[in-house]
Amino acid sequence: MLTEPVPANSALGPGFLADGGYQFHWGVLGDHLSELWDGLLRTLAISAIGMAGSVVVGVLLGGAAALRIPVLRTLIWLYVEIFRNTPLLVQIFFLYFALPDIGISLSGFTVGWLSLVLWGGAYNVENFRAGFQSVDPAYVEGGRALGFPRLATFRLVNLPLGWRAALPSVTNTLISVFKNSSFMIAISYPELTETTVNLVAVSFRVFELFIAIGAVYLALVWLMSLGARLIERRFAIPGGF
Amino acid sequence: MPAWVGPVASYMAQGLWTTLLLALLSNVISLLLGTVIGTLLVFPNRLLRGLLRIYVEVWRGLPIIIILFFVFFVLPIIHIEVDTFVAATVGLSLWGSANVAEVVRGAVQSVPQGQQEASAALGFPWHSRMRYVILPQATRRALPPLVGLVVNMIQQTSLAAIIGLLDLLEASQRSIERLTLSGGSTHAVPILGAVLLIFFVVCFPLTVLSRRLEGQRH
Repeated sequence: MLTEPVPANSALGPGFLADGGYQFHWGVLGDHLSELWDGLLRTLAISAIGMAGSVVVGVLLGGAAALRIPVLRTLIWLYVEIFRNTPLLVQIFFLYFALPDIGISLSGFTVGWLSLVLWGGAYNVENFRAGFQSVDPAYVEGGRALGFPRLATFRLVNLPLGWRAALPSVTNTLISVFKNSSFMIAISYPELTETTVNLVAVSFRVFELFIAIGAVYLALVWLMSLGARLIERRFAIPGGF
Repeated sequence: MPAWVGPVASYMAQGLWTTLLLALLSNVISLLLGTVIGTLLVFPNRLLRGLLRIYVEVWRGLPIIIILFFVFFVLPIIHIEVDTFVAATVGLSLWGSANVAEVVRGAVQSVPQGQQEASAALGFPWHSRMRYVILPQATRRALPPLVGLVVNMIQQTSLAAIIGLLDLLEASQRSIERLTLSGGSTHAVPILGAVLLIFFVVCFPLTVLSRRLEGQRH
């Protein structure tokens, strides 16, 4: 598989990397920097829309579920259970390969962000609903006793406290949305993973390319976890609730 | 029933069998390996803890698809010949064991410190403290998220299709292609709909179980 022959006497085994039996050619990264950069930008684009969209879906539908609005509540439950109990990859396949049969053709980019919004949204509905409902009922009753209507009580009491309670699980979901943007390789949308696998196919530089994009994904995931922790600390409710 | 349904269904049934086998294997390996790693993440030895932390952070942080490709491409280079099934099992188990380890570590650390100290004072060595005092209590806390992880892992088996394993999803894809080539309609809506339905039927009861276990804790 290598373009350069591996020295016949090199120890090929678990110690293979450390003893230099594999000739690294990091130059392959420089040669394909613009393709990789474009791939990263596409990954970031669909991830950003997917994350933002899933938060909007989560707050709106999670709020409606917490308020127990009849009919709507059942529909939301159906949406959440369907999307949480089927694989994202199959959802992507369905959007891309099955919908054209019923006259809906979506581009790779559209399926990319839409599938992430729908999938992440289902998780965030549960995250936010649980957060809103974890607010002490005494606060809600207090608001109602002061004469605030249900919706106003929700906006003034459940929302500001509940989103903070939901924050850890929401940020977990958002990080998963980012990582799962790599699933778009299934529909050949040229994001970072698809770009890399294509480059491996033409250059055979498996280690260099996978180590490089692995490092990029890890760095971004760790950066997001760090940011999430800072935000959680910044918005922590003094003394809990 | 239309004529195309029979052959497609039997082809997909074979794929389903592969998917179930892959899900079973990678779940068992992940749960066993992850429990050991998660317990050792609170082991007194700092070097061991550090190495295991790196294992957990790397395999938890990478997208699974990258792990699968890495295993699939790299093992042949270091002269370990694997088929797609083994590569998928190894890749999913790396990801799964890291996630299980994190859940187990959290559960172990949530057992009050006094339990550790009391059993240490009674002369229990580290492994007996874990075996008889800490892990039994941690299990109750770990169970709901672990069932959730099992559901997650069953769903992630579908990624094996991307490295070419003939699982349920790949069988459905090939059926759709074959139907398209034979000139008729692709029937993609009923075929992929069936795949969604099969996963739902497997995963939904487990999700309900996870939620019920979660409810019992409080």
